[in-house]
Amino acid sequence: MKRFFSSAFSRGLLWQLIGTLAGAGLVTGIRALMGLSVTDTFFFTEPAWVLGGLVGAVSYLFGSGVTADWVKWARGMDTPEHPEEHFSGWEKYINVSLDHKVIGIQYTIVALLLISIGGLFALIFRTELAASELQFLTTDMKLFGQNGPQLYNTLMSLHGMIMIVSILLGIAGIMNYVVPLLLGAQDMAFPRLNAFSFWIAVPAAVLLLMSLVLGGFDTGWTGYPPLSARAPVGMQMFFMGVFVAGWSSILGALNVIATVLRMRAKGMTAWRLPIFVWASVATSIIALTATQLIGLSFQLVMFQRLFGMGFFDPAKGGNPVLFQHLFWFYSHPAVYVFILPGLGVISELLPVFVRKPLFGYRWIAMSSLGIALVGFVVWAHHMFTSGMNEYLRVPFMYSTLLVAVPTGVKFFSWVATIWKGKISTPTPMLFVLGGIVVFLMGGLSGPPNATVSTDLHLHDTYFIVGHFHDTIFGGFVFPFFAAIYYWFPKATGRRMNETLGKLHFWLMTPSFFVLTFGMMYIGLLGMRRRIVDYDPALGFDTTHLILTIAGYLIATSVLVFFYNFFNSIKNGEKADGNVWNSRSPEWQVPSPMPTHNYDQAFEVVGEPYDYGLEGSKYIEFSTSAKSKH
Amino acid sequence: MSHTQDKTSALGQGVLIFVYLAALTVLEYFVAVTFNAVSILVVVAVVKAALVMYYYMHIYKLNSSDGDDHNSYQYKTGTNRIGLWLFLLSDSFVFAGLMVMRANLLGLTRPHLNQLLGLAVTSVLLISSFFMNRGETAMAYGDKKAFMNNTLITFVLGLGFLIGVVFVEWPLAAHEGLTASFGNPASGPMGGVFYMMTGMHAFHVLTGLIFLLIVWNNARKGVYTAEKHWGVEAAAVYWHFVDLVWIFFYPALYLIGKAV
Repeated sequence: MKRFFSSAFSRGLLWQLIGTLAGAGLVTGIRALMGLSVTDTFFFTEPAWVLGGLVGAVSYLFGSGVTADWVKWARGMDTPEHPEEHFSGWEKYINVSLDHKVIGIQYTIVALLLISIGGLFALIFRTELAASELQFLTTDMKLFGQNGPQLYNTLMSLHGMIMIVSILLGIAGIMNYVVPLLLGAQDMAFPRLNAFSFWIAVPAAVLLLMSLVLGGFDTGWTGYPPLSARAPVGMQMFFMGVFVAGWSSILGALNVIATVLRMRAKGMTAWRLPIFVWASVATSIIALTATQLIGLSFQLVMFQRLFGMGFFDPAKGGNPVLFQHLFWFYSHPAVYVFILPGLGVISELLPVFVRKPLFGYRWIAMSSLGIALVGFVVWAHHMFTSGMNEYLRVPFMYSTLLVAVPTGVKFFSWVATIWKGKISTPTPMLFVLGGIVVFLMGGLSGPPNATVSTDLHLHDTYFIVGHFHDTIFGGFVFPFFAAIYYWFPKATGRRMNETLGKLHFWLMTPSFFVLTFGMMYIGLLGMRRRIVDYDPALGFDTTHLILTIAGYLIATSVLVFFYNFFNSIKNGEKADGNVWNSRSPEWQVPSPMPTHNYDQAFEVVGEPYDYGLEGSKYIEFSTSAKSKH
Repeated sequence: MSHTQDKTSALGQGVLIFVYLAALTVLEYFVAVTFNAVSILVVVAVVKAALVMYYYMHIYKLNSSDGDDHNSYQYKTGTNRIGLWLFLLSDSFVFAGLMVMRANLLGLTRPHLNQLLGLAVTSVLLISSFFMNRGETAMAYGDKKAFMNNTLITFVLGLGFLIGVVFVEWPLAAHEGLTASFGNPASGPMGGVFYMMTGMHAFHVLTGLIFLLIVWNNARKGVYTAEKHWGVEAAAVYWHFVDLVWIFFYPALYLIGKAV
């Protein structure tokens, strides 16, 4: 316990607390000197909370010690290239480590934690929605300065953003763990920046959760002004949390691109890169650049609230629709950030379990880049009903429909890869197949939203909610679980329990179909999204009850997963060899792998996915003794 | 720095590029005051940006081959260079977003600002870029003393720019009625846009100044040599990037459109 409280994680939190109080206290002091009000509903005034939040996040980083080496560099001191690991066992994961495998696991654990929190929020409001009228989130209740419906709005909004952050951390976890292994690198290109990218996400999560207790906010995760310009202080904490989490995403993406450009094994040319690496690069291109725009749009609203700069206030000559353009320029491509690594996992794992070459390797590689690039020019399809210039509607409709082409390429490739394969279905493969089917449902329910005429009807209904849960589950959640089941033996030297894994899958998948199809069904009939209550005369009560039950079943299946995950770390069946009979380099050496990965460098001598072809070879380990790289 | 070039010609190239940039700046100023042609201003800004990126920021170095030894200083510097440029690419999206905001909210109008002051701070920043280039070139040939002197001049000029914008231009503009729009309908969104764009740029100038101080201090301690001075190169490229942003922001705020 003592070792927990003295870890980088706990020190950071303590420093964040001190920093927040110091920042808020400073502003309060200045305000007192200027004769302005010094307290408000939530003790400090809004400007005090904003500076406090910022100083707190920065203090976390210095307190956790992740910036220590940079400070030394700035003072002209040298630090060892590969510092020794001070910690072992579980302590490694709550202290600063530069090993990409440790950081990957740290990302994954925090992502799972946030998924649980976001899921818990969903269960709370899903329970309220089980029947019409207000059940327990009533107007009489009061929590964190919010009444029931206001709390509903906060939980619903935070469910969105916490899930988004958890997805960003989840993909960062897989990319961090897997990409250097696939490339044959010792580590990421910038190990300290890599650690920084992870540790900055922790104060970001704290800021996001602070918004819940500081009056919440009722805008949904999109934070549109003018509503966000007058929501409670929680809005500012939300904005700042997203801003800080954005830096985690940007810097992580920078690292992935630099790693792929510079750290590849000998002979690993562009057309011999593992397909997951292609997907990681595509996703990182978006995350590196577009993320700045959500940060900017939120920052502008923050300043509008703090300084009265009326960027989005029509009364002061501002333009609220401008916010939506800046916001969606990131937030639409962001969904491709979420799904591209997942689709990469599907393409990476599929040939292993059907024992056949991946069909159309180059097409798949290019389709990832294609989705990423087309993704930059589709954002305004979220704004068909916003009152933007009408001539923008049709071009954005067509650019959006164009996304179906590279996505279709992936589906053709997957189907053709499975065709006449020797299919085996251990748990990772089940999740891969589940991901394909679920993502297909998400894909097919997409074009009606992209087409202006139908979107005008579907906009803001549960149809949209059903659609994007299908895409995100198919593109992220299923592949994420597949990746965890698949690479778990690599990380721990043990397997996760197959029976429990299958139970997880067979419990989650049907429940999930019931949930999203039910959502689409009532959405088509006119159920609005983001509302705490609905008219009993609409006749949705039964469907909502079924949706709620399905939601609880999904939560149960995830509990099964958690039990399996933590139990298998200690008690799982030993598996230190090539569990899945894969050709990929990381499986050719014993698990778990040492700090700097491969003892011997390898050279790429053939195609990566030629499963089942006689005499084909992907890599060859050099026979020389431990090479430098 | 390509070593086929000797030090004198490298410094001479810096002077020549500075003359081009200065001439283009004067040209854009006169284009703006005599006949307000947006297209010419855009072309001039793009040419200036290309000159800075090629000759001062040495973007071509991204393409240099760094050998096969992934652990050599040269190879790592190449990797660092890619990292820095990726960061600048990311950062430029912030500034691009601000330009979009400016175009959307102000269109072909601009705030009423002191033209001479604008030209003055722009010149100061441009001259600082020139000295930064001299400093980096000096370090590439191992001349620590010249590097420190030139960096100090860069720092002083940069500080002058920062003071000129934040402590002279801002109060002047506010005096002219350009407020951050605390309920001033007359200036509309002008104030917000002006303070946001100059403020975001000033923040980057401030970080650049801190960066310069750090490398100056490390040079004093003898950390850098002709072969190993990635810190100097990074600080210089970042400083030129700050100048690069101003190449677009200056016409956007001072020259394009009609002052209202």
